[in-house]
Amino acid sequence: MSASFAEECTELKKKYDGCFNNWYSEKFLKGLSMENECADEWSEYEACFKNALRQKGLMPMLEDAREDAPFEDGGRLKGDK
Amino acid sequence: MKIFSSQYVFSYPWDTVTIANWQKYPNERCPHVQSVDVLRREVKDGVLRTERLISVKQNVPGWLITLIGGSNLSYVREVSEVDIANKSLTLRSTNLTFNSLLSVYETVKYTPAIEVGEDDKIKEATLFEQEAQISANAAFLRLKNKIEDWSVERFTQNAVSGKAGFESVLRKFTN
Repeated sequence: MSASFAEECTELKKKYDGCFNNWYSEKFLKGLSMENECADEWSEYEACFKNALRQKGLMPMLEDAREDAPFEDGGRLKGDK
Repeated sequence: MKIFSSQYVFSYPWDTVTIANWQKYPNERCPHVQSVDVLRREVKDGVLRTERLISVKQNVPGWLITLIGGSNLSYVREVSEVDIANKSLTLRSTNLTFNSLLSVYETVKYTPAIEVGEDDKIKEATLFEQEAQISANAAFLRLKNKIEDWSVERFTQNAVSGKAGFESVLRKFTN
């Protein structure tokens, strides 16, 4: 599993990835769960990377990209079909 | 603007390819990918949507490194959608860094396909389609072209190593 951009989050990230990968192959793909599980692993990992995004000054460029290509629209660039 | 596009068939079922997609990095063929993070993930109407932050370390030529401020670490943001009913995985990404100089918008799509194996049997496979729009912003046309040409060349190399890297990851899922 790949590292996090923030070294201190890598362990939490790997824990979350492990849970997600299992959910994805064993439940989601089989149509057994349409609920994004792994909430506990996620909240720990999320707290870690959110802090790191701010510390590394990545938030402004991330916010620009989110505006240009909204998550809700699957990352399509505005103006692109 | 320059357009880069490629197509390829992976000899693995779509399900396997999408499982492997989440575990593509690290792989020895793609050492330029430094990290992958999930920033947001939701399931809505049977579509799993994920936002990821990917950091990349490229070998940047000297003439370009001065233009981008001396750093060769860049960040890419990707939003992907797994549509389980229509069996498609689409990934759209843009560069976060250096985008005053260069913008890259890439779309990758994986859909089910079939292929005929060596034993003449029909096998499940996956079609990979990639397109990237690359545009440089520079005051001089010559420089703009030079940056775009370099990016297309980089893209071509990374597409080849990306494919080989993904093949090596996929192999692990069948053993």
